[in-house]
Amino acid sequence: MNKTLKYRWHILGLIFVTLSTVPIWGSDYVLFFCLLFFLYASMAQMWNLLVGYSGLLSLGQQAFVGFGGYTMAVLTNYYGVYVWLSVLIGGLFSVLLALFMSLFIFRMKGIFFGIGTWVFAEILLLWFSNWKYVKYGTGLFVKPATPPSMSTIYYAALIMGVGTLITVFVILRSKIGLGLMAMRDDEEVSEAMGVEIFRSKLFCFLVAALITGTTAGVLYVFQIFIQPYKAFAIDWTIVLVFIVVIGGIGTIEGPIVGAFIYVLLSQWLAEYGHVSLLILGIIAITIMLVAPKGIMGTLQEKTGFTILPSRRT
Amino acid sequence: MSESLALKVRDLDIFYKDFQALWNVSLEVREGKIVSVIGANGSGKSTLLNTISGLLDPTRGTIELFGERIDGLPPHETVPRGVTLVPEGRRIFPRLTVYENLVMGSYTPRRRSKREETISKAYELFPVLNERHDQMADTLSGGEQQMLAIARAMMSEPKLILCDEISLGLAPVIIKDIYKRLGQINQEGITIVLVEQDVKRSLKAASQAYVMLEGKIVLEGQPSSLTEEQVKNAYFGI
Amino acid sequence: MEDLLQPMLNGLLLGGLYAVIAIGMTTMFGIVKLVNLAHGDLMILGSYLSLVLVSWLGFNPFWTLLAVVPVMFFVGFFVQGFLLNRVLGKEMEPPLLVAFGLSIILQNLLLLIFTPDARSLMTDLSIKTIPLGGSVNLPVLYFVDFLIGCAVILVLHLFFKNTYIGRAIRAASDDEIGARLMGINTKNIYAYAMGIAMMTAAVAGVLVGMTFTFYPHTGPQYLIIAFGVMIIGGLGSMKGCLVGGIILAEAQLIGAQFAGPGYQLLIGYLVLLIVLGVRPQGIFGKV
Repeated sequence: MNKTLKYRWHILGLIFVTLSTVPIWGSDYVLFFCLLFFLYASMAQMWNLLVGYSGLLSLGQQAFVGFGGYTMAVLTNYYGVYVWLSVLIGGLFSVLLALFMSLFIFRMKGIFFGIGTWVFAEILLLWFSNWKYVKYGTGLFVKPATPPSMSTIYYAALIMGVGTLITVFVILRSKIGLGLMAMRDDEEVSEAMGVEIFRSKLFCFLVAALITGTTAGVLYVFQIFIQPYKAFAIDWTIVLVFIVVIGGIGTIEGPIVGAFIYVLLSQWLAEYGHVSLLILGIIAITIMLVAPKGIMGTLQEKTGFTILPSRRT
Repeated sequence: MSESLALKVRDLDIFYKDFQALWNVSLEVREGKIVSVIGANGSGKSTLLNTISGLLDPTRGTIELFGERIDGLPPHETVPRGVTLVPEGRRIFPRLTVYENLVMGSYTPRRRSKREETISKAYELFPVLNERHDQMADTLSGGEQQMLAIARAMMSEPKLILCDEISLGLAPVIIKDIYKRLGQINQEGITIVLVEQDVKRSLKAASQAYVMLEGKIVLEGQPSSLTEEQVKNAYFGI
Repeated sequence: MEDLLQPMLNGLLLGGLYAVIAIGMTTMFGIVKLVNLAHGDLMILGSYLSLVLVSWLGFNPFWTLLAVVPVMFFVGFFVQGFLLNRVLGKEMEPPLLVAFGLSIILQNLLLLIFTPDARSLMTDLSIKTIPLGGSVNLPVLYFVDFLIGCAVILVLHLFFKNTYIGRAIRAASDDEIGARLMGINTKNIYAYAMGIAMMTAAVAGVLVGMTFTFYPHTGPQYLIIAFGVMIIGGLGSMKGCLVGGIILAEAQLIGAQFAGPGYQLLIGYLVLLIVLGVRPQGIFGKV
């Protein structure tokens, strides 16, 4: 184990170099695979930050996916804003949405918070599908003046994936993260530092909105087409739940492992349509019953193995 | 031995994860007697009772009730075999009426048929409960709630009743009254194990006493044969 | 004002249906402090079970209740006994996520078997109305929904008050350890409670199927309605459930009268959000 720790940074560096040169050596399939992997890992990291560390059970991440995606599409299409700038603005708009949502839902706890976020997403779905400006439910084709090349999109996804990982790592090892983890381990601590915890939770909620909205922007630049029934669908949260539960809730490695498995499985199962979601649901429930801590959580418990320790030792 | 044993606990060890709460605890209770287990807070008395009643699983050791092994059985298996716990903090059902609380005491199938009979017996023992019959249990006073907890336990027609800190937080005059009722219950032939911090009162009532310290039994004997000095030293671990 | 009488009447009647949609979820929440995220989907499962009997055997949907209600009892019993009980513990996420997983499985299973087409359990009741004078008519089906909704709540109330199992369920929700010490197998009791909750969901499913169209994916929509009723009516309260149902339905129908029928759902969600923001414990809940 010491050996793996000693060479940890070497290995991580090697992985990073390999991934950053995929457009040079990889086939289209490898490129697509890695691109989706980065984006899902990024969004799953954020859901994990909320649920696994901050105790905010969000069932409404699709609100940020749709809002970030639509902001990007509208700015690019209607105002001719440079596509990557509109992706970033999409993220910022998601933060504004999150701020507005927090006025209502931060008084709720647990599942009430969850349903509150979900209801918000449903409202956005109804609103966008009834809104002429965004062409109702028909959706929008993202048409940048100069469409970015596939390798540019790949690097944007890579930046989101790696950037999110670093962000989560930094947050968890900061004072905020330590406070949140103290809260997770001992409820009495959390009561003693109520206000501080509230700020930390809000901070995480806003960060999650920013990154989820931005990531969604990149995703829709890649997918070219956005439509309210897909963008604001609860399916996003379903996928994030699956990824984080499989990988291991409350671990940094969990969402990465989970996202890899999810993208792999969804490629394999793609031709079976709805059976794939059915199978994902069965896998998720089985994992919850057999190994509730997920793959990485169970591994850590058995062997003490971590690649990226979220706790300072 | 001429009298049979109601309860026989042998070499009991209990762990809460890495923390060992009971160390090699052995204890015998003869049928029809009152036995007192005393000790300071956290000495393992409640853990012992919770294990006998089946809320906790022993890590090692055996528990026999009238010669039958009951260790590892959950409460819904130990209660029909004749042992009922009056838990610490009473744990009555606040949003059920007094009557409904008693009905829950006779939950196990064989007791249900004799329900009204046992309820009137319980009301005889604690007439105040009869007056409160239709009130929600959380409107009762502390003493009444404790009486309800004991009466509710009696509804399961136990042969052995385990009482955990029944005098905690009650006025002396009420404690005296409750102990009088316990004496009546005992006279009907029901064996009683008392767990108390109130050393004097429980020693007076008991025919056999055990003193616990840090999860171990450190002293045992008939209360009459134990000196105050011995008990005090064992209790505080001097 | 005249224009409002009809939506107000409809809202009142629809409130009874909303109450029976929510009652099972509210009950389970009161007992195990768990929001069953699959409640809506399980209810829709009841609609589809009824549909199978109606289309195969040509039964009137009402008669299918005799089969659907007991079947759903067993479904609930097993869901709680074999899935949810296993993850019930200190943390609240695992049971929620299992219920969520169940919801995904049910939706996609229904989709696989029944295709995404809209279905309904239409009978000739759905078009019958009784004129009440003026321009106001009593929609017979809504009235039946309301009556059955009230009946379900009454029966449930009596069950909890007068039976051993009903009292044991209440006892376990008051003090779980106290209940275990009385010889109550609480895990078993939770399974019974879920079975009973699913019996009410079965009734709701059949009524919803008779009143509206349904798809494999309509479950979550009713989950949110049930949640709204629970929030407005106060957590875990049965009387509050009926009142909450009526308030939500009135808000939706009166709102739709002003804003247009497309906004009925939206207005319901907004009411829910406002109540959540102002009084997270619900209008009738304890502070």
